[in-house]
Amino acid sequence: MNSEELLAKLSECVEFGKVNKNAPFPPAMKGMDGADELTAQALEMGVDPVDILNNALIGAMDKVGEKFSQKKIFVPQMLISAKAMNAAMEHLKPYFQSGQVKRKGKFIIGTVAGDLHDIGKNLVAMIVEGAGWEVIDLGVDVNAAKFMQAIDTNPEAVVGLSALLTTTMASMKNIVAEIKGKYPEVKLIVGGAPVTEAFKTEIGADGYSDDPQGAVSYLNALVA
Amino acid sequence: MTDKTVNSDVNQWFAHNQGLVDILPEKVVVEPYRILKGMGMQPADADDYLLDLISNEMEACKKKLMPEAAFNVHFSHQFSPGKYHIKLDEITFKTSKIVYSFLKKSTYLVLFSCTCGPAIENYSRELMKEGNSLEGLIVDLIGSEMAEWITEEVHLFIEKAMEQFGWGVSNRYSPGYCNWPVSEQHKLFALLGENNCGIKLTPTSLMLPIKSVSGMLGIGPGLKRLAYKCNICDDKNCIMRGK
Ligand code: B12
Repeated sequence: MNSEELLAKLSECVEFGKVNKNAPFPPAMKGMDGADELTAQALEMGVDPVDILNNALIGAMDKVGEKFSQKKIFVPQMLISAKAMNAAMEHLKPYFQSGQVKRKGKFIIGTVAGDLHDIGKNLVAMIVEGAGWEVIDLGVDVNAAKFMQAIDTNPEAVVGLSALLTTTMASMKNIVAEIKGKYPEVKLIVGGAPVTEAFKTEIGADGYSDDPQGAVSYLNALVA
Repeated sequence: MTDKTVNSDVNQWFAHNQGLVDILPEKVVVEPYRILKGMGMQPADADDYLLDLISNEMEACKKKLMPEAAFNVHFSHQFSPGKYHIKLDEITFKTSKIVYSFLKKSTYLVLFSCTCGPAIENYSRELMKEGNSLEGLIVDLIGSEMAEWITEEVHLFIEKAMEQFGWGVSNRYSPGYCNWPVSEQHKLFALLGENNCGIKLTPTSLMLPIKSVSGMLGIGPGLKRLAYKCNICDDKNCIMRGK
């Protein structure tokens, strides 16, 4: 295989969720090399890690996010793809540390104070990470102070807030106001089942999306 | 039998039966389609790989389930229509229109708490940390379903017992549902007292272990469990609206 074919194969592994050779999923790729082996091979072959990330991995996760948005695939396939992506990323770690490969930016995300629903937030975090962003996940029940602490250490980051309870939409509103009061320039994107575009505007946040792919489009537009 | 004698029989029943409910973990039933639904899927969308994964994790969760459930009854109550307040003993719950309307015909109110214990959610967290997020999500969903199953067992236990007195039960409601503020959880736990199944509340009113359910239901003659009615609920933002 030449490097182009290798990257195409790697991209396919991430898109369809083939983590490594031993992984039983997807059945059609049983016994074949997965994202893990193929990334190692590409690096050995001398392929630029930047190309691996941009041409194989991010492109594949873009397709995954799109297919999810169009309801062609479901949460499980998305998670298996994210796992394959992570297997590949393990090999790229040293290049991130050395600065040879850069991420698009930083994304801080958390479920707002008073709420512990995190399934949606976790999906957003995974897809945003797969799209080439460094994700700082603050977990659940996160208050304004905790968000601002993270912003203090990562002033260039974009911040995502998730709320699933109608009662914690009020908490989201307060946190947005507090963050904007102290860091007017920080971009805030909000989401979660009860949150709407109108609510985003009402509370003075900058972005809203009802799915992870929308979050990625918003973030990518900021650095385009 | 007069109303009075029925009431006193009911009082007797609660005197003997309130407190912990025996929940047998081996009896737990969670239908795989519920887990698929939690991931936004229909049964036809699932392949064998996923179904096997769900059934393996189900077995693992059954071993980790440490169910606890408890309830107590409150005889003294006062309904304030218009404000949707329900005063139990000395504590006033500020409920919502819909919760109030389903509970207002109750003769007595019953409070309950239920939990799966911490092991299932810890297992889910471990799986996630290891990078097995699909398995972690499935375990999380199974835990949620098991918490609902325990709660339903308690509801049925009380419903069956009330039948002998010619009484029924209402739907059950939890703080956070149908616009009843989740902060009211603190009042509920104050009245549950020792019947709290060891659940702790965070300052923001969330229950730990997470796989826990708390709530209130009414008992009395003529009460029935009814379909949830979105048309009379005032929560315009609720994501369950019209579902
Ligand atoms: C799973 C669940 C739980 C699980 C939580 C598991 C977990 N780890 O999160 C458990 C069982 C623990 C739970 C508990 C409670 N829950 Co609950 N829960 C749900 C349920 C069934 C699904 C939520 C979910 O995960 N959806 C799937 C994900 C993928 O969707 P999502 O979160 O919307 O996320 C998507 C988008 O919104 C978006 N998105 C999400 N976040 C963000 C962020 C950004 C920045 C962006 C851009 C996008 C984005 O992208 C995601 C992917 O597409 C809903 C009902 C429902 N069907 O929605 C109730 C629900 C949210 N729960 C509810 C309530 C009230 C509770 C309790 C407070 C009840 C109680 N008193 O016992 C408890 C709290 C328990 C406690 N310990 O204190 C209510 C909320 C009512 C309301 N309108 O406010 C609901 C609607 C149920 C109902 N019938 O009323 N719950």
